[in-house]
Amino acid sequence: MNRRSFLKATVGLTATGCPSLLAPFARAWALGSNPSQSLGFHFTDVTTSAGLHFKHNNGAYGGKLLPETLGSGCAFLDYDADGWEDILLVNSMDWPGHARQRSTLKLYRNNRNGTFTDVTRAAGLEIEMYGMGVAVGDFNNDGFPDILIACVGQNRLFKNTGKGHFIDVTNSSGLGKRQAFSASALWFDYDRDGLLDLFVCNYVKWSAEHDVFCSLDGKHKSYCTPEAYVGQTCWLFHNRGNGTFEDVTASSGIFDSSSKSLGIAMLDYDQDGWPDLLVANDTQPNKLYRNQRNGTFKDVGVEAGIAFSAEGKARAGMGVDVGDFDNSGRDGVAITNFDNEMIGLYRADGHGNLSDVAVQTGVGLPSKTTLGFGCAFADCDLDGSLDLIAVNGHIDDTVRNVRNVGYAQPPQLFLNNGKGAFHEAGAEAGGGFSEPKVGRGLAIGDFDRDGDLDVLMTTNNGPAYLFRNDQTSGNRSIRFRLVGTKSNRDAIGARVKISANGIMQARMVRSGSSYLSQSELPITFGLGKQDKIERVVIDWPSGRSEEFKQLSSGKSYEITEAQGIKPGPEF
Amino acid sequence: MVITLAAVVAYSAYVTRQIAGLRQLQNNLIDRNRKDSLQLLRIQNELNSIGISMRDMLDTAPLDQAQPYPLTAWEPQFQRMRVDLEDAFRREQQVSPEGRTADQQQYLQSSLAQFWDAVGRTFALARSGKEKEAREQIRLSLQARLAALNTSVARLLVQNNESEERAAAQVTEIYDRVARQAYVFLTATLIAIILTSLYLIRSNRLIFNQLAMLSEQRSDLAQKLISSQESTLRHISRELHDDFGQILTAMGIMLGRARNQLPEESQLRADLLEVRETAQTTLDKVRSLSQALHPVMLEEAGLEQTIEWYLPVVERQTGIGICYEKSGTPFPVNGNAAVHVYRVLQEALNNVARHSGAKKAWVRLRFTSDMLQLEVEDRGSGFPATRPGQGIGLVAMRERAELLGGHIAIGRPLEGGTLVSMRIPREHLESNA
Repeated sequence: MNRRSFLKATVGLTATGCPSLLAPFARAWALGSNPSQSLGFHFTDVTTSAGLHFKHNNGAYGGKLLPETLGSGCAFLDYDADGWEDILLVNSMDWPGHARQRSTLKLYRNNRNGTFTDVTRAAGLEIEMYGMGVAVGDFNNDGFPDILIACVGQNRLFKNTGKGHFIDVTNSSGLGKRQAFSASALWFDYDRDGLLDLFVCNYVKWSAEHDVFCSLDGKHKSYCTPEAYVGQTCWLFHNRGNGTFEDVTASSGIFDSSSKSLGIAMLDYDQDGWPDLLVANDTQPNKLYRNQRNGTFKDVGVEAGIAFSAEGKARAGMGVDVGDFDNSGRDGVAITNFDNEMIGLYRADGHGNLSDVAVQTGVGLPSKTTLGFGCAFADCDLDGSLDLIAVNGHIDDTVRNVRNVGYAQPPQLFLNNGKGAFHEAGAEAGGGFSEPKVGRGLAIGDFDRDGDLDVLMTTNNGPAYLFRNDQTSGNRSIRFRLVGTKSNRDAIGARVKISANGIMQARMVRSGSSYLSQSELPITFGLGKQDKIERVVIDWPSGRSEEFKQLSSGKSYEITEAQGIKPGPEF
Repeated sequence: MVITLAAVVAYSAYVTRQIAGLRQLQNNLIDRNRKDSLQLLRIQNELNSIGISMRDMLDTAPLDQAQPYPLTAWEPQFQRMRVDLEDAFRREQQVSPEGRTADQQQYLQSSLAQFWDAVGRTFALARSGKEKEAREQIRLSLQARLAALNTSVARLLVQNNESEERAAAQVTEIYDRVARQAYVFLTATLIAIILTSLYLIRSNRLIFNQLAMLSEQRSDLAQKLISSQESTLRHISRELHDDFGQILTAMGIMLGRARNQLPEESQLRADLLEVRETAQTTLDKVRSLSQALHPVMLEEAGLEQTIEWYLPVVERQTGIGICYEKSGTPFPVNGNAAVHVYRVLQEALNNVARHSGAKKAWVRLRFTSDMLQLEVEDRGSGFPATRPGQGIGLVAMRERAELLGGHIAIGRPLEGGTLVSMRIPREHLESNA
């Protein structure tokens, strides 16, 4: 290539070719001296000022037992149904025979002024368990969210009494007498009977007595990768509607004893209105369970192209999230993986294929050296296109001795430019967001009701972090809280589509996603500078479809199935 | 050179052929083997997963409370594993190494088909509620068939391994051969280089000898030329001085005598005086020419006095101021040697006058215990490295110095101009004939 053709090629690249390669440089150049101002928002670490004095206890005493390095999760939930998002932080505990401290999960009630109050004891949740994941859903349709804590050992189901208190209904609900190494979990209504069913990911067959000795340096014990253990099937429990659940794992076709599942997300892969499931498996092929509308599922992961990496390798899937990041009306997928494996970012082509576009979109390369766990699509800058957040951290604190990878790693924020390219802007978002952490859980929610999405993350054996999102660009948003009547009360599975100024956006009300965590159920659409939307269409899980027109932005709306729309607080 | 080039070409061709052979071996055998082994390992992994699943099926409730599932629950998982396994077998067949027999492939295919048939029968039993019989089928039939498949795959892996070992031995043999040939080639090249060098040294020596001889002959010739010139000049000078001088002297005396015989006021007397004066002028010119051609003074008064006589003459003739320094204890210089020293001085001063443009020159004559040094220096335009049409004088100077066993150096002093410096060993000055 001579010099002239090289220059032509370079100019061509700038004009049309690889925006992902050049966009970060262009953006960095344009940012000048005050980067977070130019992003249009910035994060502020409000953990301490909000009153979240939490430290995760993984129980590590030197035995390097596998579960120690994988927990735990977090959730935004409105447990008292006051319209303000509360916070739940899952905790693990000391191992039997090595008890040094008492540690329980923490429930923080939103004081509606930017602070929280620890109400764990009052809520009856001050119970020790080796907690990993959390799924929040109103399984009994009483208007108050119930909580499933996925544990190492026995999972726990807590029913919300609606009076600020929870009751452990694990045994009475039929979920008792099951020992497993559970991870993420999710509530969804797979048979669309108006009752939330429960999906629980199980990781591997593990017990402290049979923990395998693995070593990075050949001398000292380190945490094993899952190859050392046999997989364990995930569970699907059907909600009978009488407060009990039936194990339909086998009859639904979900059963797979080779799975080593960590992350779970729901999506409508084939856009037939029936919720499908995507399971991120660690060193095993990811599973895409297509809902066959008859109570059974079929794994189409291989056909869809999401089971293996482009090289045909089963990657170490950890967290997973689903979102229409290209505003095509079809759900894309993000899966975090081990270091040296990069995030899998899949775009749906409308013909049942999911292609990994991580490298082309600029997400691949920055995530190649990180070990990702929690991940979530969220429109952080409210520009109308979903951005991607990933929290990272290695599994072994001695990894630096054998590889040039840190134990604590910076969380990442991939900003979507709306034209198919992302650029990593974690450091520019400020607030210490990109300080290295041993990140695990990640949840998104608008705890201060200012119309933008705040970030909650947990670290292994460390503190949780709450980052408040403060908009500086004047971008507007619109929020919807859905209440099902014929559908399940949380409206999980409802699809919300808006059109504003010719741009369509779509979201689904979802439980699960990310890693061991759950984000808030209300839905936020970023609108840029638009002060209204032309219309919103809600496809309820019951099959009903509703449409509302000409809604102002800067407001939160509550839509009750078949009962109309009610404007809520402004922001 | 031709031999060396031919050897290099031949060796390159040989190495290229060996590398091509190596590449072919690698492509056909080693790479194929490696890919096949990877697929076989994948198959083994799949078979192990099936084995673990079968063990789980035997361990379900009531044996294991964590797995309260009927055997039919495993059917989709087995279907997935079948897809994976058949894909692995298909890929394995595509890359199976050359040594694999059709019988081996056939055996694997039929074993696999029989295994899946048995799996199908097992699940059929489970579906019809005969869990106990199905478990029995797993224990007696499936596990045995799986073990047989595992053994076959392991045998193929061993076969691949052996084949790889053979290939590795072949590769080692090729490397050894190439290394051996490399040593032979290096030795041959070394010998060729030594022989070529020896030949070149010998030819160079012959050429140098010829050159030295030619140079000697040239020097000899030049010295003979100089000697012959000096001898001719001395002869002419003597002839002029002795014969013409005496004739002219006699003519002067005779003219004087003839004049004295004429009366005082005679016109002829005045004419004879004029003729006598002309004869005297001619005599002076003849003596001067004779002196110039060969200063008789050298033989009569010696070198030092001749130089002291000669320098004012040059000053007068050229207008150049000459600063003369003499130092050391003089020793006698043989007449023939003195001529050469005198001629060098003459040539050097001629050069100053003709080329330097300087108005002043320095002449230094130094006698040391073992040599005589003559220096002529000016501050003129200097001596160019090459000057066309110039050189005979310099050559003559050098030859004269060498004739006396000394040498001459022409350089440029720091202050500019030219410095001609001649050194002659004392013994040559005293003895040279």
